[in-house]
Amino acid sequence: MATGDAVRALAQRTAEVDRVVTEAAEGLLFPAAATGLAVLAVGGYGRRQLFPYSDVDVLLLFDSEKLALASKDAIAAFLQRLWDNRIRVSHSVRTPMECTEVHDRNTELNISLLDQRYLRGDRGLYAKLLDKLPRFVTGNRDALIRNLSQLTRERHSKYADTFYHLEPNVKETPGGLRDYQLLCWLEQMRTTQPSRLGTADPSPELQQAFRFLARLRCYLHCGSGRDNNVLSFDAQDAAAAQWKLADAGHWMREYYRHARAIYRAAMRQLEANEAHSSSLFSQFRDWRSRLANADFSVHRERAHFRTPQALDAEPEVLLRLFEFVARHGIRISQEAEQQIDARRAKLRAWFAEPRPIWPQLSAIFSLPHAPVAIRAMHEIGVLTIVFPEMEKIECLVVRDFFHRYTVDEHTLVALQNLWSLRGAQELPLKPYGDLLREMQQPGVLVLAVLLHDAGKGTAGEGHVDASIRLATAAMARIQTPPPQQEIILYLIRRHLELSSVMRSRDLFDPQTLRDIAHRVETVERLKALTLLTYADISAVNPHVMTPWRAEQLWQLYLMVYNELTRELESERIEVEASGPPKRLEFLEGFPTRYLRTHTETEIDEHVALEERSRKRGVAVEVRKLESAYQLTLVAHTDRPGLFAAVAGTLSSFGMNILRAEAFANRRGLILDTFTFADPTRTLELNPTEVDRLRATTERVITRKTDVRELLRNRPKPTPPSRNAHIQTRVAFDGAASGTATLVEIVAEDRPGLLYDLASAFSTNGCNIEVVLIDTQAHKAIDVFYVTAAGAKIDAAHQQVLEEGLRRACEAQP
Amino acid sequence: MKKIEAIIQPFKLDEVKEALKGIGIDGMTISEVRGHGRQKGHKEVYRGQEYNVDLLPKVKLEMVVSNTRADEVIKTLAGAARTGKIGDGKIFVYDVMEAVRIRNDDRGESAL
Repeated sequence: MATGDAVRALAQRTAEVDRVVTEAAEGLLFPAAATGLAVLAVGGYGRRQLFPYSDVDVLLLFDSEKLALASKDAIAAFLQRLWDNRIRVSHSVRTPMECTEVHDRNTELNISLLDQRYLRGDRGLYAKLLDKLPRFVTGNRDALIRNLSQLTRERHSKYADTFYHLEPNVKETPGGLRDYQLLCWLEQMRTTQPSRLGTADPSPELQQAFRFLARLRCYLHCGSGRDNNVLSFDAQDAAAAQWKLADAGHWMREYYRHARAIYRAAMRQLEANEAHSSSLFSQFRDWRSRLANADFSVHRERAHFRTPQALDAEPEVLLRLFEFVARHGIRISQEAEQQIDARRAKLRAWFAEPRPIWPQLSAIFSLPHAPVAIRAMHEIGVLTIVFPEMEKIECLVVRDFFHRYTVDEHTLVALQNLWSLRGAQELPLKPYGDLLREMQQPGVLVLAVLLHDAGKGTAGEGHVDASIRLATAAMARIQTPPPQQEIILYLIRRHLELSSVMRSRDLFDPQTLRDIAHRVETVERLKALTLLTYADISAVNPHVMTPWRAEQLWQLYLMVYNELTRELESERIEVEASGPPKRLEFLEGFPTRYLRTHTETEIDEHVALEERSRKRGVAVEVRKLESAYQLTLVAHTDRPGLFAAVAGTLSSFGMNILRAEAFANRRGLILDTFTFADPTRTLELNPTEVDRLRATTERVITRKTDVRELLRNRPKPTPPSRNAHIQTRVAFDGAASGTATLVEIVAEDRPGLLYDLASAFSTNGCNIEVVLIDTQAHKAIDVFYVTAAGAKIDAAHQQVLEEGLRRACEAQP
Repeated sequence: MKKIEAIIQPFKLDEVKEALKGIGIDGMTISEVRGHGRQKGHKEVYRGQEYNVDLLPKVKLEMVVSNTRADEVIKTLAGAARTGKIGDGKIFVYDVMEAVRIRNDDRGESAL
């Protein structure tokens, strides 16, 4: 032990135990069964890797059950002698027949025989077993591998399928000694011939990892005087001192490096063997090979470079590889990994130079399998080639009661948790999924998650400040456009804000909400910050994001969102000191809410649209969103019923309006946006219809076409069943907003309903400020913020308006 | 012995724990709960859809202390959890018949 050579120490311990076991067998067992009994060492003892406090696995191989029963007293005396010699023996009594049956519920027995070793007794009986064993393994290879895989998967899932635990179990955690053994067993089974058992010859890298872990396990056993395999923080400090290293964190990186080598090799073998034993999977795999393109081929569910030399001539092909992975969820072949590895220094130098690679990275970060691609980049070391800023958090241990993972693993788990929200169908996570789908640039959020803790590896500087510094450098190098840089830096700077508010502030205090609203400024930022907070908290450990906490965060989001969007007229944008003149002229006098609810890109588009509108007084734009369309119009003069006219035009085209907003600046410039669904895919299948919709809307706004004429020709809907009839409800709320009255309408949905409602407001002298629309099956829930003559609506006016609205709701289509 | 059960505002948890630690109480059970009393919930409209925020997040603390310490604990707890607004929470006090330390079968106050 003193030399640190664990393999030798284990062999010595095995030899000592061999001596005690054979003495006890000769003295107590063989007098009762001189023939028909052999004593074998199995498991770790069998392969001469007996750790100081591990169980000593002994197999008593009897020729027959009858002889075994007759030797009961002798077995008891034998075991007692071993216990008296302080040997924790774990024994089994079997016949050769029992040893060569598949035990689905005792896979350990089958597997332990791969490491059997003869100690004493009937050599003829042992020869009988040795004769049967290879034929048994070759004949049942698939079943044995299946059972072993299942055991391994179950064990890995207990440890959240990662080896980056802050206090790992060096035997059981993924990448531990058990996985090293798994590799040996799979290799032994693969090389077993009907005439002889196979052997395993792990690579030098794996053997080195084994020696490291074996030494560590010996150390843990001797330190605690029992079969303890948990590398606790205290044990890490003590082990680092023993290894003569000052810093336990640095030493743990050595541990993770070895664990990673074992884990990756184990997973590769496991997947290859599982794939081999599933014919259905083979068919799927063959189908997947059709995904190949000019750069990559797919073989046995792995992506290969068609010409690895392309990496030398055109290093961007590396990013295309991960884009391929992010698109299809296919893993990278071992050959491709080696080809990347061979060019590591060259690639590092190439990516260290400023390159316009943001579009490619953003594409990787936005595709369906983004977390798979990013994890693969991390495992192969490509993530730190592209972002050397992340090097210092690789395998970094931050000691804290709640954290379970190293900093880099926390980042990857955060990404996985974020992405898994996409499939969330139930409360409390479903609304977060909706929020993620609404994100126009998920790549921005992903980069913020990747870099939010990058500064944790920098000593002597606050981690947030260091992360901002590193992110600034990284984004300059990959040439992220300034608006995206701005939001990413904002998210990193504020990533602890919402969790801090949840922990220390009264969420139901209006001042708290006003403070947060003031700091986040825009809805886009609030959405991104909420999602980042969810991902960050949920990746601390698997139990931290309870449904309670998820609800609390969602309530906070909801209340801040409403705080940001309810203020309609009280604040107006005043001209900023700097900025392009056209933009300043456009923005002046719009409600500040406009800035909060629109992205920089949208504002730029609106400025361009306004310029286009100058000639004819109106301009209309229709663009496709991810799952809907958006119509934006700019008109230089408002007129009664303008909003209703556009709603009617969309209805006449069969469109289903999901959301609409109306803004006006002090100069009377109108900016309305309508987000709508195209349920019959008219616009998608007939691109010219987009132009017709645009032109028709312009004609309706300029009164060249009568919207009522258009509505006469609209398609008739299928009426809902009587049982599903929705009771109309109209409710007024004068307190929700400082300047407008909130009118909430629940009604039976029908084409043209919004047009009729908007017309009712218009004919009753009301101005629509904002409309929020939602449709659930046949139920329409519309909320209007309206004013009359620039003020809230009084009680008498409300009564008249309500009658008009009810008539509109109940009118026949 | 008294069992003290307190429902408090989540953002007051750290302050309450610190105050209790200050008088030597650091053993307690903490649960995340939802509920409302006089601090009724309300509705939030989000994108035209109503969300009921009627069950408010609260934290429940439970601890058992000796009779002689009960008043001091209640006073400290209430002092730290109070903001003066509706929704600060409630404290309930129960008589406890017996306490058993499972490890060594200690009974009564020595098991606390």
